[in-house]
Amino acid sequence: MFEDPVGIGAGAVQLHPTSVVAWDIPPAVVAGERFRMKVGVKCASACPLAHVPFAVYDDGGARVAAGTLGGEPWPGTAALYAAEIELTAPAAEGLHTWSVRGPDAEAAAPHAVGSTTFGLRVVNRADHLVTVEAVDKDGQTPIAGARVVMHPYHVETDERGVATLRVAKGTYRLFVSQTRYETFALPLEVEGDLTTRAELSLEPILERN
Amino acid sequence: MAKRRDAEQKNRKPRDAKSVSRRDFVKSGAAAGVGGAAAVFSSSGTALAQGVSPSDAIRWDYEADVVVIGGGCTGLPAAIRARDLGASVIVVDQNFDLGGKMLHSGGQVSFGGGDPLQQRDIRGEGDPEGFVKVPRLHSIEELTEDTDFLFRDHTDWSVMDSAAQAPYRYNERELHRAYADNCGATRTFLMQNYVRFGRISGTHGNGGMSRARRAVTFLMEGTTTDIKKGTITRQDAGIRGVSSSHFAPRFMEDGSKVVGPGARINGAALSRGLEFAAREKGVRFILNRHMDEIIREQQFSGRVVGIRASYSPRVDPQTGRRLESLWQNGNIDERRETVYIRARKAVIIGSGGHANNPQFRSTFYPAFREPAFVSSGWALLGPRGQDASGIIAGMRVGANLAGMHQNLSYADTFHFPGTLATRDPYTDMLPGHPTFPFRGSTGIVLGPNSYQHLIVVNQVGRRFFNEMQVVIRRGGAAFPAAPSKGQPNSGMAHKPLDWRNASVENIRKTYDEPNAIHAALAMNEGSQAPDYFSGPIWAIFDRAAVERDKWNINPPFTSPTNGFFFSADTLEELAVKIQKGHEFQRVPLRYLVETIKKWNAYVDQGSDPEFGRGSDAPMYRIEKPPFYAATLYPVWHDSYGGLRINGRAQVVDMQGQPIPGLYAGGEASGGGNQHGLGRALVHGYIAGTNAAGEPTGTR
Repeated sequence: MFEDPVGIGAGAVQLHPTSVVAWDIPPAVVAGERFRMKVGVKCASACPLAHVPFAVYDDGGARVAAGTLGGEPWPGTAALYAAEIELTAPAAEGLHTWSVRGPDAEAAAPHAVGSTTFGLRVVNRADHLVTVEAVDKDGQTPIAGARVVMHPYHVETDERGVATLRVAKGTYRLFVSQTRYETFALPLEVEGDLTTRAELSLEPILERN
Repeated sequence: MAKRRDAEQKNRKPRDAKSVSRRDFVKSGAAAGVGGAAAVFSSSGTALAQGVSPSDAIRWDYEADVVVIGGGCTGLPAAIRARDLGASVIVVDQNFDLGGKMLHSGGQVSFGGGDPLQQRDIRGEGDPEGFVKVPRLHSIEELTEDTDFLFRDHTDWSVMDSAAQAPYRYNERELHRAYADNCGATRTFLMQNYVRFGRISGTHGNGGMSRARRAVTFLMEGTTTDIKKGTITRQDAGIRGVSSSHFAPRFMEDGSKVVGPGARINGAALSRGLEFAAREKGVRFILNRHMDEIIREQQFSGRVVGIRASYSPRVDPQTGRRLESLWQNGNIDERRETVYIRARKAVIIGSGGHANNPQFRSTFYPAFREPAFVSSGWALLGPRGQDASGIIAGMRVGANLAGMHQNLSYADTFHFPGTLATRDPYTDMLPGHPTFPFRGSTGIVLGPNSYQHLIVVNQVGRRFFNEMQVVIRRGGAAFPAAPSKGQPNSGMAHKPLDWRNASVENIRKTYDEPNAIHAALAMNEGSQAPDYFSGPIWAIFDRAAVERDKWNINPPFTSPTNGFFFSADTLEELAVKIQKGHEFQRVPLRYLVETIKKWNAYVDQGSDPEFGRGSDAPMYRIEKPPFYAATLYPVWHDSYGGLRINGRAQVVDMQGQPIPGLYAGGEASGGGNQHGLGRALVHGYIAGTNAAGEPTGTR
C-alpha cells in the first residue's frame, strides 16, 4: 500500500506518507536534566530523507527542540533516516506525553508531515541507593549483564554481578532478569539505602519428546 | 500471495476421492512387476460408485503375507516381528524415508510391569556392550512392580492431571491388559533388534503414576555410524545450533546422565536401529506410496485382503530432485500412480494419527480446523503425514472408533512450544536433513523467560493474553507423582485408586491449565464465516529485544523468504509486509500500530491493565527500529482417538467383532492415552505376532 502513494484529488500534489519513530528514550529522567534520544523518519516510498529537519514538542504542543536527520539510513533499516537529539526534561515530575513531527512542514513537500508520541517519565532527584547483587543460584557465581528493573529505573549488572540504582523513596517491585534464567522478583520498600541479593535459577528446558 | 483456506485438504482430495476404473485395473496389472492372483473382474457397480474397490476384480501388483501401512513406531516392530515368525512382509510408507514420527521423537520408551530394564536396574547391572556407565537412577522400590500393577496404573479412575483431566480412566481395559502383559516381551524384542536403552528414569507422559518405567534410546559417539557396533558420528548425531543429518533430523541430545559420557539420545537411535534390523531380516519397503484404501472382500464383511496405494514422491523444492531414503536395501522402486498390494494373511495399520488433518482435528476442537497449524514433524513427514488416512480407511471397511475424547487428556496434545519464525515450532531441525528446505527456517528458540521482550498479537494485531504465560505447559500425569502433575502426593507417596486423588479439594489446589492457546484460537475481528479461523499468531519485537536477550535472528533460524519472519523500518510497514508475505494472513493487521502504542504506554505506566503484565517480569517498550514479526504457532503434537482395537491389536467393528485380517496400533488406534512410543511399540509387537499367525488367504 505504500509503494503507490495515494493521490488527494485531481490536480493535487501527491504527498508521500511518512512515519516517525522515536527510541532510546530513557525510562526515567531527572526533572530539569538533559537527556538524549533518537528520532527517525521514513517515507513510505523510501525517498531519501537525508538532512531533513524535524522537531520535538511537549505536552502543550510547544516546540522544545529541533534536529536534522542524518545522511544515511539507520543501520539495519532500508530508508529510515535518523538523528540523536539532546533535550531538557521538564521541571514537573510525572509521566509526560511528548511528540515528534517530521519532516518540518516548510520542508516536507512532497512528503506529508508524520508524527508520533512518546512517554517521558520525569522523576525528582532520587536519594536512596539500592545495590543489587545477581548470582546464579546453583553455582553462586555472579551474573553479569543482568537487567535490574525497579520501574521506572533500569540498569544492568557489571562483571561482578552488581548493579546500583538511585531511586526515590517508595514501594517497588525489583526484577532481575537474564537470558535463560527465571526472572527474580521481589517487593521492596525503599526508605533508605539498601543492598539485596538476587539468586537466579536457570529456567527449565522444555522437554520435547 | 494467494491465501489458503484449507490447502492441505485441497491437495489431498483428488487422490482420495478417485475411484478406480476397470481400465486402471488392466493397466496396472499389465505393468505389474510382481503379482500373484489372476484378475477376476466382476460388475460390482455399487462398490465402485462408493469408491470402494471390489476385491474380486483386482489384479494385484504385489503380494506378501503381511502388508504394513506405515514404517514408523507401530509398523517397523510389527514388520520385524511378523518376519521373525516366518511371514513375508511389505511395508508401504507415504514418505521417502522410514521411521515416521518415531525418527523425530525423543526416543523415550515407557514400558514397565517388571520389564527387563527395570530388572536390570534393580540388579544393578549394565548393558551387555558396556555402554551404560551411570548407576541406577531410582530406588529398588521405585522399580519394582508386576504386570497387574501396571494394568491397574493404566486404568486408574482416580488420577487427574493439573488440568483436571483424567488420563487413565477411559482407557480400554482389554487393550491395556494386553499392553501390560506384552511390555516385557516388547522390551526384550527391541533390544534384540539393535535398540539400546539407558537407565530407567521417571516415566513418560501418561505412562502411569506409581513406578519408574522410562528409558531413552541411545548410540555412542564414535568415528563411524555403525548400528551393529552402536556408534554414531558427531556429524550424524547433529551439531548443536549448526546442523542436523539425514540419519537424525533432530539434534541427538547428550545422554551422559542416563547412559554415560559420549552417549547421544533420541528417537533416531530407536528408529534407525529397527529399520536396520528390518532391512537385514528381509522386510521389503515401498516408499513414496500413500495408502488410499483398505480392501475387504465386501465393504463391511469378509476378510481384509489388501490395499490400494498411490505414488507420493517428495521433491526437493530447490533442486527438483526426488528425495531418497537413507538406506536402500529392501526398497522396491515402484513409481506407477496406483498399485494394489495383496495381503495373504493381514494388513496392519501403522499410519499414525490425525494430528496433521485439520478436518479430523476439528472433531475435537473446531478452532483447530485452521489449516495454518500443523503437526510436529510436518516437514519431515510431509503434508500427508499424520493425515488420519489409516483411520479413515479403516472406517470405510466398518471399523469402530475409540477414545475420541482423549486428545484432551494429554498435556502436550496441542500447545505452544515457544519457538518463533517457523511453521512447525516443535521440531528443532537444522540444515542437513533432506526435508529442511520444506521448513526453510529452524526457528528462534526461546525459553519462557524471553517472552518478556515481546508482545503477541492475533491476525488483526491485537494482544490476547499475558505473554509470560504463553509457553507454560501443564504437567502430565506420570511418575513421579506431584502436585504439579495434579496429584496430592509426591513420588512413592502417591496412592493409586484413592478417591482423594480426584477430590474437588485436590483439584482446586493443583489446577493449573495454561489457557493462552485457547485465547489464541478464539475468534477475532478478522475471523470470517463459515470457519471463523483465528488466523496466524505473531510475536512482535524490536531491535532492542534482539540485542538485550541475544537472539539469533539470522538464517537458518529465520528465513527471508518462507513468510514466517519479517523486519521493517516502521510498524506500519511491518503490518503490510506480514499481510503480503504470509500465506495464512487473510486480513490486515489493522490494530498493530495502535496496539504497540498502547503497549508502550503500559510500559511507561509500569503495568498492563489488559492482561496483567508487569507483575511477573519487567516490561520494555517496543520502539527501536528495525521492527520484527515472527510467527508464534501452536502445534498439534500427537493425537489420541482412532480405530478401536482389541487386545490382539485387531481392528474391531461396530458390532464389537474383529475385522478378519485387519490390525492397527499406535496413533491410528484409540482407547489408550499413553503418550508416544511405548504404546505404539507394544501394539506393533502384538500386531506383528498375531498377523503372522493368521491363516493364509486363498483369494
